[in-house]
This record gives sequence, structure tokens and C-alpha cells, in this order.
Amino acid sequence: MTFRKGQKIEIFRRSEDEIWEDYMDEYIGLHGIIVDPDMAINDPDALVEVSLEGKGTHRLPQDCLRALEDED
Amino acid sequence: MTSVTNCPVNRTVTDLRNIISSGSLSHPKTRRIAEEILELIEDVAWGRAGSEHLNAVKSLTLEMMTQSDDKAGFESGKKLLSDLEEHFEVFASHVKTHNCSTGDCVKLAPAPCQTACPAGIDVPTYLTLIGMGMDAEAINIIRQDNPFPWVCGLVCTRPCEFMCVRARMDKAVSIKFLKAFAAERAMSEQSYQNPEKEPDKNKKVCVIGAGPGGMSAAYYLALKGYQVRVIEALPVAGGMLMVGIPRYRLPREVIDREAAMIQELGVEFRFNTRFGSDVTLESLKAEGFEAFFFAIGAHKSLKLNIPGENDFPQVIDAIDILRQVALGDRRMPGKRVIIIGGGNVAIDAARTCLRLGCPNVTIAYRRTRSEMPADIEEVEQAEEEGIHISFLTVPVEIVGEKGKVTALKCLRAEMKETEGSRRKSPVPVPGSDYFMPTDAVISAIGQQVDAEGMLSLSDLKWTRRHTIDVNMTTMETSCPGIFAAGDAVTGPATVIEAIGGGKKAAESIDRYLSGIPQPKMPRVPVRQSRADFLQVPAATKMVLKRPEMPLLNIDRRRTLFQQVELGYSENAVREEARRCLRCDICGRCGKCVKICRDKMSIDALKLGYLNFDHPVATDFRSTEERCIACGACAANCPNHAMQIQDVKGERVLSLCGTVLNRQKLLYCEQCGATLGPARYLDYVRKRTDKAVSPSIGIHAFCGACAKKKAAISHSEVMG
Repeated sequence: MTFRKGQKIEIFRRSEDEIWEDYMDEYIGLHGIIVDPDMAINDPDALVEVSLEGKGTHRLPQDCLRALEDED
Repeated sequence: MTSVTNCPVNRTVTDLRNIISSGSLSHPKTRRIAEEILELIEDVAWGRAGSEHLNAVKSLTLEMMTQSDDKAGFESGKKLLSDLEEHFEVFASHVKTHNCSTGDCVKLAPAPCQTACPAGIDVPTYLTLIGMGMDAEAINIIRQDNPFPWVCGLVCTRPCEFMCVRARMDKAVSIKFLKAFAAERAMSEQSYQNPEKEPDKNKKVCVIGAGPGGMSAAYYLALKGYQVRVIEALPVAGGMLMVGIPRYRLPREVIDREAAMIQELGVEFRFNTRFGSDVTLESLKAEGFEAFFFAIGAHKSLKLNIPGENDFPQVIDAIDILRQVALGDRRMPGKRVIIIGGGNVAIDAARTCLRLGCPNVTIAYRRTRSEMPADIEEVEQAEEEGIHISFLTVPVEIVGEKGKVTALKCLRAEMKETEGSRRKSPVPVPGSDYFMPTDAVISAIGQQVDAEGMLSLSDLKWTRRHTIDVNMTTMETSCPGIFAAGDAVTGPATVIEAIGGGKKAAESIDRYLSGIPQPKMPRVPVRQSRADFLQVPAATKMVLKRPEMPLLNIDRRRTLFQQVELGYSENAVREEARRCLRCDICGRCGKCVKICRDKMSIDALKLGYLNFDHPVATDFRSTEERCIACGACAANCPNHAMQIQDVKGERVLSLCGTVLNRQKLLYCEQCGATLGPARYLDYVRKRTDKAVSPSIGIHAFCGACAKKKAAISHSEVMG
């Protein structure tokens, strides 16, 4: 697990992962909260559940996310 | 002036308003028709339109175009017809779902809690109903999106609470527990009822897997009139709810009662039936099934990949022991047990071992407490019960003798930033190895999909994560007529995601079997209602605190599988519902704050929670210190969240039912007209340079009466 539950994040870029679909491009730049991190194997490749402000909850690859707290 | 909104409904409203106000419609009849059309389109944008609204708009537009002497009317009508035709689906969706996906029609934008819910439950509406004591009505609202309100009230990971705007002020509203209360009460009072089914469609759908995803799909398909059969490898319904979640968190009766509600709709369950061996796709097709929904879960444990893992029978998968205990096995795995992992399954396995009688239970987790992915409440409860968590512990080998485990060899770890990443990872400390004595090791590092029964589906595509590859918008797999959702698609995830996936798949299966094209974008949550506000004084709104959950006493928790969380009292539930900020109505646009501060120079609204990223202090109580009750905030509120009303001699300002200010009204002594509160009159007086005084001396008069009085007085003096 690289993200923690309750952590504020930003979708800062398009993911390279196969699961990324075109309509997700509109999520880039949005902020949200990690709702369900990788529960199991601390795998940076695992999908994490993210609630995006105004755009619902989605399982997204980690490579498109960055923690907002890291910038503080 | 052209509008910049993305929503064609909202754009039409703006354009029509502009056309009418510009005066370009020369014929009075054309103007009247345009106003009628505007009213109808506003109904659509408000979510109050009926099934005949769009037809009425169309015929009125055609009528407007027949006014041959009004060119502007003809052109406006032509454009309106073209917009209606081009965006008909969006207009119809506004009418049908009471939802605007762009959020431009602010009255239809769902609250953050609702958008956060993977099943899209209309949280503010059901919380308000619970606050009113209308538990059965609340359950009806929930079940439009989730057929398991009771289950989710006990075990949901509650993404809604993470996005709850109230958490920016103090703590999130206790949405999950309120749902559990309402479901339990409705079930107890026999008012938990199924909705009416649509007429029978004479089409058969087979659902593979009786977990939350499978049963949700079965529920919505049955409501749409399909004949549904659910096949399940286990002897009971519930899937991971039943065999993955221990009874002290989720009593079996809760699952049974909600599964029975689905059965009541005519859904047929076939237990002890495994897809791939007991039945095949061909045999099911031969029985007349036309569509299939796979919700087989992720029941296969991941391996630790350390020496000794396969050498001893006392090395057990957490998911296996949880299943065995759920199905009635009560044997203790050993006196000393170590569970490897840091998620909810590890905590569940540890607390289960304790209840089986294991005196010494330890969780070995490679990172620190703050990185632990398990629910914090679960971790705290586990530690209270006496479970020890060994952090920064990396298992490297399972050792034993004579076929029995004796110890787990571990290394201590340090959290360090690794190359190329700013995030810290656990790095083993060389030479720090030590042995933890134990009789059994339970692996809880995750699960994956057991694809064995699915091998016959050669065209079915899988992802590199060994999950079923689907279109996430429709849940369609690579095989026509086969849909999938739940853990089999996402990997081990949450109950509410599986429920949301099941509901989405049911909608797609319905479209598939009805020959309707599938959507290209994910559906947006549907506002089910616009419940009245609960009236709460500002002081109460601020001081109400989220209640603590009463727990079973510690001795019983260490020995019995009795439910640990005992539930809120009725009073606590009704009060907690009053903490909701009703974000389904207040869109947090901040116009009220800006108007009050920048235009009126009063700055009475301290609503720091409006900002998602940088919320600052909120205090509803401070409004009355400065507010003059001018109503500018309410007049500029796009969604009638802020309201100002004259009630029983007072002017009352409220935000979504939270009473921010009450000021005594003054009336004209001459004619009785309402003058407004004294503070407001002072404000006006200071800014009008006493040119028109609403009072003479200590007497209060309206403008007209003051003028009359002044004129009489003047003539008396002059006369």
C-alpha cells in the first residue's frame, strides 16, 4: 500500500494502465480522497478506490494519483 | 448574450430568458408562448417535470413558429426544436432521473456523499427521512440503489462518510449506523417491503454467485420482470458477506433476511451448484437463459512465497478459516497464532481466533500503524480485545519440526524512502532476524479470483491482474451476453462496490435483452427526492456531536460471536440525522458568502466548510452577530438553500433548515406594512443619508406613511 485511507489526492495525469478509459480524461486535475487503499499486498500496481469531488467513486491505478499532503 | 453552460437544458433556460428579456419577440402571443415554454423547461431543470413535459414543449414551439409576422419567434422556435432533437436524451434523462450530469442544473446536482457511493444512494434524502422518524420510507429510498441497507449499515466501508461535508466542520455524519438503525426498525415493524415488480418479460437471466454483487443484480433484474436464477457453490446465500465477514460484525440473520426479500421477488436460488462442473454455459443456454452475470468473487488466497509455507498443515489461509468458522467449525487453530497482513481480513481472522479460544493472537504487519489499511475502528476493537499487533515485522520463513509449526522467522523493518519515490516503504534491517514462537500461521495478504470454473469460457478476456476484463461503464465482458462485476472484476474490493456493480450490470443486461444501445459514459447517481428540511437552530447544529457506538462488554467480545456494535438508541439516531448539512440542496457555490461580504460589506456568514481543499472554521452561530436579515444571500442562492421568511413577527434566515438568524420585525405604525428588522432599517438609513426616513422620532413608519406625515407636518408649520 502506498496510499493511506482518508488521504487527499489529485489525479495529476492520465494513467498508463490498461484499465484507464477515455472518459476518465475528464477526471484529470480533480481532487479526491482515498477510500479504500490496496488492502492486500502493498502492490504499487494495485487499483485503489478513490472518491473524487463531484465525480463519484472509482477504482483507479496508482500511477495517475499523487498525494496532496506530500506537497505541503 | 450566449450561455457558457455545458448542459443543453440549462443552456435552453438561459437562452430563452435572454430572448424574452431582450424584447425581440414582437408578437404578444409569441412572447406568451415563449414564457410558457420557459416555465416547462425550468420544470425540467428543476426535476419537477412529468412525462408529458417534452411533448408539450414541442407542440408549443411549433405553435410559436406559426406566428408568421414574428421572425424572431420563428427563428427561436427553430433553434429550440433543433436543440431538443439533438439533445433529446439529455432532456429526457433530466425528466426521468432528476439528475444533471454536468451539475449545471444545480437543483439536480447530487450531494458529495451520494456521488461518493459506488451504488449512488441518495444519502441526504434518506437521512432526512430518518430524522423525521420515517424509517420505512428511508429504506425504500435506499433500496432504489442498494437492496442491502441492513448489511451495509453494519459493514460498509462508507465512502460517503469520507466525502461528508460535515467532516470539514467536525466529524462526518454517522451515515452507516443510521442506515442500520432504519433497516432494523423497518424489518422489526414489518414495514421493510419490496417494491412492485414490472410485468413479466418472459426472459431468463442466470446469475453466477450469490454474493452482494450477484444478489443485487438478481434483485434489480427481478424488479424489471426477468426470471432470475442464482447459482451458488456454497450451501448458503451471501458469498463473502457470509463466509468472509465474521458473525460478530454481521449476524447471519441480517444476510438471511435481506436475501429472503430477494427470494420473495421470485428469484430462484440453487445452492451447492458450481459453475463449470455442476452446470455449464451450454447447459444453462439449453434451459433458455439468454444473459449471464458472473459475480464469483475473489475467494482464492494469495501465497506468502516464503520457505515453509507449504510444509505444515498449521499454515492456513485467512479466508479458509473464516469460511470454515462461518459454516460451523469451531476448532481452535492453535494456542499461539500469528496472522500475517494488515487489512480487514487479517483483523477478522485475528478476532475470530480469539473467539475460538486462542489465548495468544498476534498480527504481524510490515509497516506502521498509520499505513494499516484496515478500518481504524476494527483495529482499535481488536487491540481492546487483547490482540497484539507487531508492526514493522517482515515474515521471512515458517519453521517447525515433526510436521508442526513452531515459529515464524521475521526481520525488523524500517520505513525509508526508496529511490525514485518520495513515499516511504518498509525496508528490512539486515541482521535483525528473530523468531516469534507460534502454533499456527494464518496468511491474510489478499485474495484473487479463482478462475478454475471459468476455463471453458475460452473467449472470456482477463486482465493482467487476473480479473475479468469488462467495460466498466456497462460491465460487459468480451463474450456477448455475459456480464461480470464485483471482486471478480475489481479484485478484492468492498461490499458496496460489488452492489453498485451488480446494479449497473442489471441495467446493462436489461438494455442488452431489450435491444437498446449501451451507454458510453458511466451513469450518474439519481436524486430520488427533494426532502423537506429539518429545522435546527444554529446552536444545536453546532453542538450536536456524532454519537459513540455502544459496544458489547469486553468479556463477551473475547468469547462469543455475538454482535459487537450494539447500535444507536433511537434518540441518538434522530439527533444525528439533524447534523446533515443537506448538500443535495446547498451546492456550496459560496455566492451567499461573497454577496454578504463583498456587496453588502456585512460578512456575517462564517461558512468555512464550503471549500473542499482548504476548509476553514465554520460557525453557524456567529451569523446572528452581524446579519441584518437583508435577504441578499437568499435572493442570490441558486438553489433555495438559503431562505429568508417572515414568520410570526420575526424575519428568519435559514440555510437548509439551519436557522442562522431571527430578528424581530417592525411594522409601520400607520398602515401596518412590514418594515423589516431594526438592524436592517439602520443599515438602510445609514446608506440613504436619511433622505427617506422610515421613522419619525421614536415612531416607525413605512416610506409612504413617513412622507405623508412629513407633508402634513410641513403644511401645519407653513400654514
